[in-house]
Amino acid sequence: MSNRSTEPDRGQEVRIEGARQVASSRADLQVSEDHHLCPGCGHPVAWRILLEVIQELSLAQRAIGVVGHGCYTNIVRMADIDFLQCLHGRAPAVATGVKRVQPQAAVFTLQGDGDMASEGLAEVLHAAARAEKITAIMLNNGVFGDTGGQMTAASVVGQRTKTSLEGRSPELHGYPVPVAELVASLPGAAYVARSAVNTAGGVAQTKRYLKRAFETQTSGAGFSLVEVLTMCPTGWFVPTAAGPGYLSDSMQPTYPTGPLKDSLRPA
Amino acid sequence: MQIEVLLTGIGGQGVQLCAKALAMAATADGRQAMLSARYGGEMRGGQTEASVVVADTGLRSLPILPSAGSAYVMHHQYWPPVRARLRSGAPVVLNTTVIGPPEDLDGASEFLTVGIPATAMAAEAGAPMAAGFVLLGAYASLTSVASIDSIVAAMTELVPAYRREHIQANEAAIRAGAAAIEAGAADLWVMAGR
Amino acid sequence: MTAALLQGSRAIADSAIAAGCRFFAGYPMLPFTDLLEAMSAKMPEVGGTCINADSEIEAVNMALGAGAAGARAATGSCGQGIALMQEAIAEAALNEVPMVVFNMARGQQDYWQATRGGGWGDYRTLTLAPKDVAEAVVHTQLLFHLADTYRAPVCLYGDYLVAHTHMSVDVAPIDFGPLPDKSWALDGTAGGTGHARQIWTWAMGRDDAPGPGPDVHWRRLAQKFATMGEAEARHESYRCGDAEWVVVSFGTAGPFIDYVVEELRADGQRVGSFRPVTLWPFPEAALLEAAGRARGVLVYEVNAGQMIDDVRLALRGQVPATFIGGVSIDSSGMRQGDLLTVAAIRSRVLDAIGVGAGERR
Ligand SMILES: Cc1ncc(C[n+]2csc(CCOP(=O)(O)OP(=O)(O)O)c2C)c(N)n1
Ligand code: SF4
Ligand SMILES: [Mg+2]
Repeated sequence: MSNRSTEPDRGQEVRIEGARQVASSRADLQVSEDHHLCPGCGHPVAWRILLEVIQELSLAQRAIGVVGHGCYTNIVRMADIDFLQCLHGRAPAVATGVKRVQPQAAVFTLQGDGDMASEGLAEVLHAAARAEKITAIMLNNGVFGDTGGQMTAASVVGQRTKTSLEGRSPELHGYPVPVAELVASLPGAAYVARSAVNTAGGVAQTKRYLKRAFETQTSGAGFSLVEVLTMCPTGWFVPTAAGPGYLSDSMQPTYPTGPLKDSLRPA
Repeated sequence: MQIEVLLTGIGGQGVQLCAKALAMAATADGRQAMLSARYGGEMRGGQTEASVVVADTGLRSLPILPSAGSAYVMHHQYWPPVRARLRSGAPVVLNTTVIGPPEDLDGASEFLTVGIPATAMAAEAGAPMAAGFVLLGAYASLTSVASIDSIVAAMTELVPAYRREHIQANEAAIRAGAAAIEAGAADLWVMAGR
Repeated sequence: MTAALLQGSRAIADSAIAAGCRFFAGYPMLPFTDLLEAMSAKMPEVGGTCINADSEIEAVNMALGAGAAGARAATGSCGQGIALMQEAIAEAALNEVPMVVFNMARGQQDYWQATRGGGWGDYRTLTLAPKDVAEAVVHTQLLFHLADTYRAPVCLYGDYLVAHTHMSVDVAPIDFGPLPDKSWALDGTAGGTGHARQIWTWAMGRDDAPGPGPDVHWRRLAQKFATMGEAEARHESYRCGDAEWVVVSFGTAGPFIDYVVEELRADGQRVGSFRPVTLWPFPEAALLEAAGRARGVLVYEVNAGQMIDDVRLALRGQVPATFIGGVSIDSSGMRQGDLLTVAAIRSRVLDAIGVGAGERR
């Protein structure tokens, strides 16, 4: 959960295209306008898309979310969905238990790069390898946003964080972990894609991918994962408005967006 | 009534399988049983020991026996720790093909020893691997801890699918051991002065 | 049903299934492994799930998820594996997910781990320590009942002797009475109705339906554990009434102590045996009652001296407690060593109560 001492500004208009739409109207499953996060944060954009997808696929009364520890945990406070807030990194294991007991439910995880790539890499890889019929969503902003902007396993080379002040150096810190590519390499993964929410096109793309991921689950095809690149201007130490540009300039060269694997697609 | 049996031998002689067959058979006969096993590793040739306790009803026993009222000895190598826990006068069935005559066993005079040439009899029955079952048949016949038919049934249940072809020979071995006791063919030493 | 000769692990598996357990996950580690194997053999027969997880961390979190989704769920391990599970056991205590953890310990050295835990927060884990296979069969079903009664993770402290000894047992479902409903469990059906459910350690709730928040939630939990502490302590005592010396032991050591007590009674020594059946809550009042008038209490446990802390707390300085146990593990590292024998215990008891070698039988 978010236990940062600074109270984030509330209800501010987010000065990026995708997020402005979020502030303008509510998704059906959204019970609050208040996202409890920083201005310019990309997470609420992704939440919004997720809720729309659940609604549009008529999964509202089948969905169970298993949420890790990061700023995105606050989705639990604004969405009318069954939620289990679990331990840092363990959501794919917890979701496995949930899904095996409630096989008719649409079970998804919501995790960050710190949660999934750093703390819980084993859990997501094994869940994918087991072909668990769950949908894992990783909101990748390249930092531990919630704890104030330290380096995660997904921080890109050169990225300045509070624990890589001179930028991530391969010599000192090694290389980032491309979760989507790793998961896609496993036979148990049926659908894998990476998107970004820093542009209108990216928002539309994210929505398509998330839909496809849930369809993969409901069709019983296997594990699905969508890695969504999101903005964290606070943790990146850039002005709010610079978030979307920073994402495309610094993250996207390392993390190309697009579908990586789609077993549902006819050959 | 409650009786304890210590089973000892070296790995590969089937002692654990026999102990389990005995406990299962006693249970099938409507008695209560407890089986505890102790191996010195899974290797062939290592120490293997098991204990079985059988009671008509209300079994009350520790899983590590402080003392025992009977023994089944397939090999003399690990006999000393068994002997140390046997109460005097306890019936002891032993495999004379391997051990030699009962009087060769240290301290045999304290017990009621029954020598069975189990390995030789098993070979004769065409089942050289089933010496443990010969001795088990003899032990059961001597003590009536479990019926021979129940032991045969337990053995049949315990033999893994890939060893099914041994069932008949094992049964022959069990019955041969029992018959040796019934016919009085075993070397029965009732030691004096106990 | 008639009795069958079952290995302890298999008897526990059958008992768990008889109690309605339909989800199990574990990672191999002796002497817990046989329970995992038994569960994986039996669960499919009843339409349940058993997952051979890829770590204890996965296993316990899977069980937590299954418990949160309403199933009777369990996991297990021992030693280091239980150490890895502590974070999730604490989490289940704090977010109130019932599950059963089968700790098939390598001996008795994990008393502190079981009763103090290595998780975080103000929580306790009710722990039953059976003395043998037959009691483990009953405890297994009782644990599922208690987990649901209190919406809490609960543990069984077994060991090699419980896991591996075979006994003739008759496993049948035991009715422990009514239980609260499980309307809190997540099945996904409440989404979009304004009444979606939440399981959250911080209990903050939604903006439109705020929860109590961590302060109130955790105080309530502390109250719940205090209630459990009062209501669920269990013990067994043997010939303590007129005992000058009371020997306290737990788990599979208990019957050995009873045996020695019986022997020493025959020799005219006024000794008794006391066994906490629940390690937490420790039966403090019962121990003080059983040993309050004794000359001394002897604590026998096969470790360096762990439970003795609880014994001393219970005795409140009114009766002196002497440690007569010790570290003892067999060459396999899987089970208690030679200190867990009648002869060794007998001599330690006699030493402690001052019966000289010449006066011994
Ligand atoms: C076991 C454990 N370690 C550390 C933490 C502290 N923690 C809370 S949130 C967080 C960072 C989460 O980063 P990420 O998943 O990338 O989410 P973000 O806040 O960036 O969206 C950390 C390290 C924790 N809650 N639990
Ligand atoms: S710290 Fe980053 S991820 Fe967290 S709310 Fe702020 S912008 Fe979003
Ligand atoms: Mg992050």
